[in-house]
Amino acid sequence: MNKSLDPRVNRLNIPTGELTPKVPLDQFGTFEVFVQIKEGKGYRHEGIVHAPNRDMAFLFAKEQFSRRLMCAGIFVVETRNVFVTAFTEDKDNIYNHISDTYPEDGEEEQYEIFHLEKRGKQHDHIGSVPAKNHQQALALAKPNFIDGDPIFNVWVVKTSDILFTNEEDMIMWNTLPEKKFRDASDYRAADKIKEFKERQA
Amino acid sequence: MYGGGNTFESIKATGLENEDPVKLAEFEARIERGEKIEPHDWMPQLYRKQLIRMIEQHAHSEIIGALPEGTWITRAPGFKRKLALMAKVQDEVGHAQLLYGAAETLGKPREQMLDDLVSGKSKYSNIFNYPAFTWADSCFISWLVDAGAIVNQLANARGSYGPYCRALERICAEESFHLKYGHHCVIHLATGTEKQREMMQAAINRWWPPMMHFFGPSDKASVHSEILMRWKVKMSSNDEQRNQFLDMYVPKIWELGFTIPDPKLGKNEETGKWEYTEPDWEEFKRVINGDGPCNAERLAVRRTAEERGRWVRQALLAPKTQYVAPLA
Amino acid sequence: MSEIAIKELLYKIADDQLILGHRNSEWTGFGPLLEEDIAFSSMAQDKVGQSQAMYQLLHELGEAEPDTVAFMRNSDQFHNCQLAELPNGEYDFSLIRHFLFDFAYAIRFEMLSNSSYVPLAKLSKKIQGELRYHTMHANTWIKQLGSATEESISRLQNSLNEAMPYALGIFEPSPYEAELKSEGIFDGEEALKEKWLAKITEVINQTQLQLPDITTLEPKMGGRAGQHTEHLQPLLDEMAEVFRIDPTADW
Repeated sequence: MNKSLDPRVNRLNIPTGELTPKVPLDQFGTFEVFVQIKEGKGYRHEGIVHAPNRDMAFLFAKEQFSRRLMCAGIFVVETRNVFVTAFTEDKDNIYNHISDTYPEDGEEEQYEIFHLEKRGKQHDHIGSVPAKNHQQALALAKPNFIDGDPIFNVWVVKTSDILFTNEEDMIMWNTLPEKKFRDASDYRAADKIKEFKERQA
Repeated sequence: MYGGGNTFESIKATGLENEDPVKLAEFEARIERGEKIEPHDWMPQLYRKQLIRMIEQHAHSEIIGALPEGTWITRAPGFKRKLALMAKVQDEVGHAQLLYGAAETLGKPREQMLDDLVSGKSKYSNIFNYPAFTWADSCFISWLVDAGAIVNQLANARGSYGPYCRALERICAEESFHLKYGHHCVIHLATGTEKQREMMQAAINRWWPPMMHFFGPSDKASVHSEILMRWKVKMSSNDEQRNQFLDMYVPKIWELGFTIPDPKLGKNEETGKWEYTEPDWEEFKRVINGDGPCNAERLAVRRTAEERGRWVRQALLAPKTQYVAPLA
Repeated sequence: MSEIAIKELLYKIADDQLILGHRNSEWTGFGPLLEEDIAFSSMAQDKVGQSQAMYQLLHELGEAEPDTVAFMRNSDQFHNCQLAELPNGEYDFSLIRHFLFDFAYAIRFEMLSNSSYVPLAKLSKKIQGELRYHTMHANTWIKQLGSATEESISRLQNSLNEAMPYALGIFEPSPYEAELKSEGIFDGEEALKEKWLAKITEVINQTQLQLPDITTLEPKMGGRAGQHTEHLQPLLDEMAEVFRIDPTADW
């Protein structure tokens, strides 16, 4: 290959000749990422990362989803541990379709409830409920939401399946103020243009 | 960043005759009402296929798009530029991550998309097959290529597929930093020393033809593109986007005292449309098909990165997690 | 307060952060997986930003502007440890270096957050937040790869063996150790090294890696006094290539 204009590429030692095709790999798991913009606000679903485990999912989520936003906390949960209801439309509240009966198996522990309140938007964390299983958590949440604004979809997650930010790690979001180099507001230059035009005139 | 629908291959048949007419009508009514389509909703095969292709190409364009500007990442002049360029190139990688995630909700795993990228099966925006010779080239890209991408992405953000729109909302917010940063750099070169002005003018001369290619050739009227418009997959024509870009940015280039290497370029005040020399579409095709100045290098870098990272990925692969498509 | 001692301290910290931040930024776009590419880039940005803030403190003490100091000196005027300037190598080396270096710096900034030199103490407190993420990142990766496959373990072990003598160079004593200590500015390189060794030993012991016996190693010193490997000058030339086209120009 010819010399690259990028000195980094020249240091990559790209093999000459035919490149071997990429080896197909299995994928890492998928983790759903929730972000809390500031203390006191609820957690909202922001996206996904691929990671081999929760700890790494957390590491990856932090920089992908909070390097610019104000952020007070993040949590991640593996996608397959999220239990999802069906979706409803218009004024139809999904809780109308949730059975009041539920299986009794399992030990009681805490579950987290997430609601989709508007189509096209993200799921928001609503609260938690102690229950024996996901189905019971849903049934226990029902009386609180059945008469309110329609909820179109619910996610239920066992709290122990979630990796939260530790209290002591919260300082991670307390960074140097110089981070504004990432924001558009740091690049005003209208004065320079004006001055330039005046010089030309 | 991403260029218009320029890498679409036309699909001969729409396959709509095989779709359930009741479901199809509900689907179209939902889009007509301005609602988003979500991963769990019924959708025609053509919609799914076209969106996967579009979002995937967009994602590839981001990750390959990190390379031309990355050429200058170790050489940015001064702290402010050094930090900003690092953050900007990082954003491009971040955009790829977001977009692959959106495409995955339609059923194609990220690994498969990355395989198709390095094997040359999938395309990416043509403009990234051109080299960034000087610092000023990287400034051109940050400002004007990103400006073009924003025209395209703002349009697509009004499209019908929920996960893609949400990814684009995030992306557009970050692009506003790119645009301001790029403009800031160009303004400094424009108002700086003679040498700086010359660097910038030379970069504009080099990048103008690929910039005109960026939005793709005029769309041919077809049943296919009519359907994609109706389904809000394609939100505006390539020519409309090109015109919008010229309208917004040519005056900004001119106000800095630079020239644009096209004697025919000018706005027709009667039609409100810009007129220009027809871009060389033969070259465009040649570059798309692999014969551009940097196609080989871009893919070789991607393959090498994958290859050098392989041991890391293999070590991390653990049976503790299992791949499933993202939820939203 | 001994200004010359403070300046020496600030210069080595700033130069360390700048040079390693620069090196780490070379990975952007080439990382082993997308998410890690992003994370590693953020940490490189943190380091370069930290160095800028340190040069700013120096500027307030009468040194030249941060841009001039960073982009116009030659290698013999740089005070970074040699560890920072070594080429990136493969990801195993970059990760090991990141692990050894960032634990040292997390502890250094923790110590400095109690410094009697108030501007430095304030800045160090801020930087601690960033370093918390860096050490969490390093910790997680080293534990993962240090106990995963035969290849990952042997790669990390080789890199650890290679990097360790250079890592000991982080703690090259300053000519002003006594003043720094007696004036409560900084508790000294030796104290830092002890804490660092305890910390990295704790992490390494949770993996299948072996910490080299540091009593048998010859630390790579000299960086603090401007003696560098052949890798630093080309790095600086590359970094300043555009800036030096016209150092008086506004870029």
